[in-house]
Amino acid sequence: MLKAYMILSILLFSIGIVGLISRRNIIVIYMSIELLLNAVNLSLIAISADLADSSAQVMSLIIIAIAASEAALFMSLFVVLFRNRASLDANLFDMLGNSNER
Amino acid sequence: MQNEILFATLALIAIVSSIVMISAHRPIDSALSFIVTLISIAALFALVNASFLFVVQIIIYAGAILSLILFIIMFLNIKDENLPDEKHKNRWLLATSLIIAPFSAILIDLILRSDIAVNGVSDAKFGTIKDVGLTLFSKWVLPFELVSILLLVALVGAVTLSKRSE
Repeated sequence: MLKAYMILSILLFSIGIVGLISRRNIIVIYMSIELLLNAVNLSLIAISADLADSSAQVMSLIIIAIAASEAALFMSLFVVLFRNRASLDANLFDMLGNSNER
Repeated sequence: MQNEILFATLALIAIVSSIVMISAHRPIDSALSFIVTLISIAALFALVNASFLFVVQIIIYAGAILSLILFIIMFLNIKDENLPDEKHKNRWLLATSLIIAPFSAILIDLILRSDIAVNGVSDAKFGTIKDVGLTLFSKWVLPFELVSILLLVALVGAVTLSKRSE
């Protein structure tokens, strides 16, 4: 059962990386990052169940908290970026280098 | 046997809905299918007796974070012309999966060859809220406090970022 969990976690992680690289919609990119975190959580939980050690469960609890703070930051970023450019295209958001160009 | 059937069904649901999530054009479709992925992952947690993490996953991920995403998507009032026109989206997805596939094949092969122990715990108190809480507040107090500071900083940063600057 542990091997099946690890394989499923690898598959989900690969799907998340594919979405992260190949999409240009920033909301989909954000959800791909969440999918990566969930795949890691899945393997952590499987290992903790296999070893009867709840430290890995605490680790994934902390990962979930980090994902929540990440969600708050990403949401405010979406609002700011959409207000400035009226688009969700990741290719348009290159204004970090030259701030006076609109 | 029953567990294996459940696992196969849930794994299939998770994989299919995550593929739909990365390939849907409109963000609301991908958010809705991501909810399905998260709930099936939560059910996979419950399948290995991690009952507290099951509840946390349902409440925080599928409840809070995803409803935040849905709220933002509806709040921004995204129309089709606001979306990036990804004409070659399917080609990109195919090419990237061809690049990623060897790496995941190597990892899966490693997992299949390794002799990781299969203990199959049947301890009744494993994964309960008491067990997890005792571990959290004995061995993991410092990371817990650091995470609370991180949450505070992230919330302050979110408010500061979205403030309209003149």
